[in-house]
Amino acid sequence: MPLLDISNLVTAFHTPAGRVPAVDGVSLSIDRGKTLGLVGESGCGKSVTAMSILRLVSAPGVIESGSILLDGPGGPVDLVSLPEPQLRKVRGGRIGMIFQEPMTSLNPVFTVGDQVAEAVLLHQGCSREAARARALEMLRLVRLADPERRLDEYPHQLSGGMRQRVMIAMALACEPDLVVADEPTTALDVTIQAQILDLLADLRRRLGTAILLITHDLGVVAETCDEVAVMYAGRIVERAPAEKLFRRPLHPYTIGLLAARPDPDAMATRADGTTVRPRLTTIPGMVPSPQHFPPGCRFHPRCGYAHGRPGPDGPACDGGVPELRELEPGHFVRCHYAGSLGEPHAVGALST
Amino acid sequence: MTSPAPDPLVVVTDLETHFPIRRGLLRRRVGEVRAVDGVSFSIGRGQTLGLVGESGCGKTTVGRSVLRLVEPTAGTVSIAGQDLRPLGGAALRRFRRRMQIVFQDPYGSLNPRMNVRQILEEGLIIHGMGDAAGRMERMTAALDRTGMPAVAMARYPHEFSGGQRQRIAIARALVLEPEFLVLDEPISALDVSIQAQVMNLLVDLRERLGLTYLFISHDLSAVDYVADEVAVMYLGRIVERAPAATLRLEPLHPYTIALLSAVPSVDVRRRRRRIVLTGDVPSPARPPAGCRFHTRCPVAEAVCREIDPPATSVGDHLVHCHIAARELERCGGNAGAAAEIMAATVAAAAPTPVD
Repeated sequence: MPLLDISNLVTAFHTPAGRVPAVDGVSLSIDRGKTLGLVGESGCGKSVTAMSILRLVSAPGVIESGSILLDGPGGPVDLVSLPEPQLRKVRGGRIGMIFQEPMTSLNPVFTVGDQVAEAVLLHQGCSREAARARALEMLRLVRLADPERRLDEYPHQLSGGMRQRVMIAMALACEPDLVVADEPTTALDVTIQAQILDLLADLRRRLGTAILLITHDLGVVAETCDEVAVMYAGRIVERAPAEKLFRRPLHPYTIGLLAARPDPDAMATRADGTTVRPRLTTIPGMVPSPQHFPPGCRFHPRCGYAHGRPGPDGPACDGGVPELRELEPGHFVRCHYAGSLGEPHAVGALST
Repeated sequence: MTSPAPDPLVVVTDLETHFPIRRGLLRRRVGEVRAVDGVSFSIGRGQTLGLVGESGCGKTTVGRSVLRLVEPTAGTVSIAGQDLRPLGGAALRRFRRRMQIVFQDPYGSLNPRMNVRQILEEGLIIHGMGDAAGRMERMTAALDRTGMPAVAMARYPHEFSGGQRQRIAIARALVLEPEFLVLDEPISALDVSIQAQVMNLLVDLRERLGLTYLFISHDLSAVDYVADEVAVMYLGRIVERAPAATLRLEPLHPYTIALLSAVPSVDVRRRRRRIVLTGDVPSPARPPAGCRFHTRCPVAEAVCREIDPPATSVGDHLVHCHIAARELERCGGNAGAAAEIMAATVAAAAPTPVD
């Protein structure tokens, strides 16, 4: 069985305005030593999915149903129902965490060495000296410059890239089987992002850690992940090996996301020196709020391929919820018409 | 020196903006952050200059200094032939109508206590533009240009999404009928699907209204798409400047080469070797001697640690790098050939990435 197997996860927030299902039936699995990229725009539920794995969703959020099986030596355990004391051993132990903003995730009043050593002390019950030695070893592993000196420094004395290296050192200190990295490079500059992505790839290869990489950046996923899951409005809409997804995306949302980036190959320079800029393909409208998810396929109001009426080929897009179908081996799509989309039409005018 | 753009609207010469570092009880000046340290460029009427660089390189300070939202320490800025430096008080305020700015964060840049009408009308009232009916006409037109309905006027910023707020911020700039817009990371806070909408809008507006842009961003592919010419900044200086396609295809500066290689791409065909720079950007309070990039440059030599590289240019391509200058000379000024050699040299010298 896979290392982590999430099935039909539903996490909802019970607000005064009503129930908000941020994660609405997500199924995912990650094999040992593999990297799964979970991509989507803000509000799609990708971070809530990550928080649910660690059961760190805070009130009024509740995991309502589903299971999150983590395989281990004694057989799989369900993180959804695992008692809190055992869960605490999993968090930071078998599952490491890296968050987007290293400044707010590190404690400003403890030294870097203390924070990395704390993880080791908590989970491996060794002596202070041994924990400190392990912390130093970890800082070396993440290629932090001048690790002996950094051990006694505070987070504010480090740059953003260095802090993210410390976060990674903490996440890996207990040799976890899985690291959940939520937008680990979003706050960093591109040259520093390149350093961190390289480091993660290297560590994964050397330590065999599986990674769940959550990001909005398709480029980051394309360069680092084995498999990709695209999330939209609380659901997985497409899942495939990275190579397949980027070569031939099948869901209209994924197609739209990939087409929305400027393509340098499509630009040309006119004889007078001015530039020919083909208009960027856009996804009209905006991501729906979880309080007002549209019926049927949640992407249909923004989809240029949506069908307004049931036909011989399939149902209406605003009717039945499409299933996640395996269209090609290993390539899953939640769209009634994926594979035979036809020509796009103006959005809002559902074709019949 | 490069030849100035034909009919330049904006001419910036040797711009410096330094911020004092004060310490102690008496707030004595103990140093300065040289945020912008000798930047020159010009932007032709109707053209867009893209300014790229990583955080702390000074690109935002350039934008603000050009509009005199922060006071430059030295250098000159002239817009439409008017030197901005001697302008003070009322004269500067009058001139500001002609140059506007759109900020990165559409959540922070719109006053939450004002409705959209008040937000748009404020500038018109300050500049005495039109009577009530005339103002309404201008505001409706500005909203329409940015794809917002006139009914938006009665609503407040919190009622809009990030993309819509950015449209309102653009409408606020347009309502004064400016000639020149500074766009400071206008799409960075938006989702991918919304970024494309705003980029299309900016390109349309420039063509319809003949606007001139200074487009500031850390996103190389966005700058490449919107701008005619691109300038790359590092630690307060422009290190390379060229027409957008030239910069993308034939970068000469090792920093530009590394920056372009570091942008993650979804294009499997375009996959190239990532050049990973070591270390962090040094503090602009203590910039390194010689070439400021030498501490992270894979191909730096002794001369780079000592002498600040002067500008070398081939046609409209300008670069500040000793090594690139030498290669350009060896290639007899053939920038394409020199760029190829630079790319190979930098890739060979950069620490091998692990995969």
